[in-house]
Amino acid sequence: MAEEKKGRAVATKTAASIPKFVRGNLAATLKAKEEGKKVAYAYIADGQDEIMRAMDIVPAWGESFAGVCAAKRDAEKYLQKAESDNFSRSLCTYATCTIGFDMVREELGGGAVPDAPWGGMGRPDMILGSAQLLCDPRFKWPQATQHYLRDVPVFVGSMYYPPFDPKMDHHEQEKFYVKYATEELRECVKFCEKHTGKKMDWDRLAQIVELSDRTWDLFIDTYELRKAFPTPMDTGDAMNTMVPLTFNLGTQEAYDFYKQLYDELQQKIANGEGVADPEKYRLIWAAGLPSWFALGDFQYFNSKGAVFPVEVTYRGCEKIERLELPKTNDPLEHIAWRWVRYWTHWYDKARKRPGSLPKVERIIEYIEEYKCDGVVFHSAFSCRSWHAGIIHQAETLKKVYREIPILILEGDIVDISSYNEADTHNRIDAFIEAVDSYKKRMN
Amino acid sequence: MAELRDEKGLAKAERYYTDYGVRARELKAEGKKIIGYISALCPVEVLTAAGVVPFRLKGNVNEAITKGDAYMETIVCPFVRSVFDSAIKGKFNFIDGMVLPHQCDSLDRTSDVWRDYLNLPYFHFLNAPHVTDDPSIEFMKELLKLFIKTLEEYTGKKITDEDLKQAIAKHNENRRLMRGLYELRKVNPPLISGVEMIKVLIAAMGLPVDESNKLITEVIDEVKARAIPSNGLKKRIMIIGDQIDSVDIMDAIEGAGAYLVMDDISVGSKMYWQDIDTDKEPLQAIAERYLRKLKIPTNFVDTGGTYEDNLNARFGHMRRYIEEFKVDGAILFIYKYCDPYGFEVPAIKSYIESAGVPVLYLEDEYSTSTIARMKTRIEAFLEMMA
Ligand code: SF4
Ligand code: SF4
Repeated sequence: MAEEKKGRAVATKTAASIPKFVRGNLAATLKAKEEGKKVAYAYIADGQDEIMRAMDIVPAWGESFAGVCAAKRDAEKYLQKAESDNFSRSLCTYATCTIGFDMVREELGGGAVPDAPWGGMGRPDMILGSAQLLCDPRFKWPQATQHYLRDVPVFVGSMYYPPFDPKMDHHEQEKFYVKYATEELRECVKFCEKHTGKKMDWDRLAQIVELSDRTWDLFIDTYELRKAFPTPMDTGDAMNTMVPLTFNLGTQEAYDFYKQLYDELQQKIANGEGVADPEKYRLIWAAGLPSWFALGDFQYFNSKGAVFPVEVTYRGCEKIERLELPKTNDPLEHIAWRWVRYWTHWYDKARKRPGSLPKVERIIEYIEEYKCDGVVFHSAFSCRSWHAGIIHQAETLKKVYREIPILILEGDIVDISSYNEADTHNRIDAFIEAVDSYKKRMN
Repeated sequence: MAELRDEKGLAKAERYYTDYGVRARELKAEGKKIIGYISALCPVEVLTAAGVVPFRLKGNVNEAITKGDAYMETIVCPFVRSVFDSAIKGKFNFIDGMVLPHQCDSLDRTSDVWRDYLNLPYFHFLNAPHVTDDPSIEFMKELLKLFIKTLEEYTGKKITDEDLKQAIAKHNENRRLMRGLYELRKVNPPLISGVEMIKVLIAAMGLPVDESNKLITEVIDEVKARAIPSNGLKKRIMIIGDQIDSVDIMDAIEGAGAYLVMDDISVGSKMYWQDIDTDKEPLQAIAERYLRKLKIPTNFVDTGGTYEDNLNARFGHMRRYIEEFKVDGAILFIYKYCDPYGFEVPAIKSYIESAGVPVLYLEDEYSTSTIARMKTRIEAFLEMMA
């Protein structure tokens, strides 16, 4: 039996409802068959959420399931299962954990897996992957999964955005990138139509896309309330409250969740309630997926008077008006513009500051707006996508902005073998001291 | 240096391998522009058409990474880290620019690092798509146009369709010649060893295409003239992987008592097996070659048919190599932290094994420090096959 560790206690009531959300998403994949719905293995931020919702396809998110396994410290059995068939331990552990689970489920005949965390995921009817946005596992993982689920069809679409080049104006390239992304979304619709036997209801899709836009806006409005002193919510909670945006985009439940969170944060601000009492240091979680098995570390920061009013991780949206999206009547083209503009949103700023990078501009923007005194990154060994380039971001930040204290934590998202609590806490202690003297210097 | 001027074939390849970049340095001194690139995904034809010398960057398995880690995370594939380490140490100080094709996360996610720390006069990240359907071909053509535009701006020379066609013809010839050399591995025992072969492959990738063609022709002549040895009794091995660019693992395989007769690696057959169609508009033909014909795990293939169909589409070439080169066993040599290849290991392994050919999977860290351990495993594999 895996050691179950008490997870991090959340500060907001709304965040406390997240486990129910996650369980609900998992349960939906198990119930789908009875309801005559199709289940698709899906991967976050691929831009296909609305298509699935409009076609009543139930998404099964491996990233969420693996995160649950990790948080319950019950992933090792699946990681080992995958390893037994020669998947390297250095590969994305969301993928290997889920593939290990798939292998176990197939051995049990494809039905429910008795000791799977929170019931596990239902066997998919299709797999919807995506290339480039964001990582190699987004299309290699589906292929690798098909090795065990041979009858399950795989679709891999593309949603590319122009790479940053300080010498090039990316706006000139946007058009052909968006055209391509739109065509790929259309291919995704065709694939879903083929495998559900249903036609896309384009009006319904348009409504769902509009709901997503409103959800993006509300999410940002809600998160911007965290600028308050003391901040009413920090990254420890945000690692929970990201769930509806990330896994339930295009649903009314997601929208309602942020409405509830918005109201709660306003109330907290009115009451002067913060995450740490007293709030001494404000930090930004500048990059990196968290160690799901060690979310308690956020509380460790809080116990030192340090809070994270803002994070880059899982803030996977922006206010729609800030993206200045060109008008279109095609909901797929709108989705494409929304994502392409989101990913390139900090490019113009970066070009204006010699030597800067879009990711660094984003961090600077948040440091200034949320009044942060230190920067924390987490480098997870099994994911190159978010974690390669962190050293460069940190160095660039110091060079183009200022000598702000920076901590780069090292670990993994799922694989606990890389984690040492005592070491991590020692590093946090030393960092807090650095932040303290920085603050004194700055004052 | 008369002796060097007379140097030909394998001796020349040996020198170009050992002193990698020596010819590029000379060309640079003659006023040529040298553009470094990484991966079989780089359309070298475009560089040749631009009048610059394409020079493939290589790592160094014998050298510890001592400077690169200060800039690039250790979770990046060790090959990429090694090349970067060499570059930041100034080993490629003769290059004028660099093209980084979007093969994998290890390249994509470090492109800012290459650009900002090497600070070369020319740098381009070629954002090639992984998907290979029709919209992807159109997209790739747009990317190629952009790539061409940046080169034109850099060199001040227009790249015409005619330039592209000529470059395509030369590189097709280069591929044809190299395949001719591979032919000489089909006999038993092969006329050229795996160690010799990798040296030729590496030497060739550091030369302008005309010189590469000449070198390969010389090697073919030299090797063909060899007396055909008596029938070989050793096992015939194929190596599969990505960026294997040193003799060390080849040497370990042959030192363990096998013939290395074929490869499916990035500097080897992946570069040379598929030509660019000459009866199509050049950009269309280049896009098709690099997205659809090139067999790398980051070019996504799905037939829409059965899983078996997909496997045939992805790995069918490996089975063909096995038949054509009479391969007895395959070694899958994959680097740690390489997601594209890492996720294929079970599929490739079972696909090849189902053709009756045993597979040894080795996970490596791109360092000779692991070679002794690898050799022991290879010996055990060969014993098992005996
Ligand atoms: S972004 Fe990272 S953690 Fe997520 S699926 Fe890709 S490699 Fe895995
Ligand atoms: S070995 Fe793998 S990770 Fe490294 S460059 Fe090749 S594909 Fe990328």
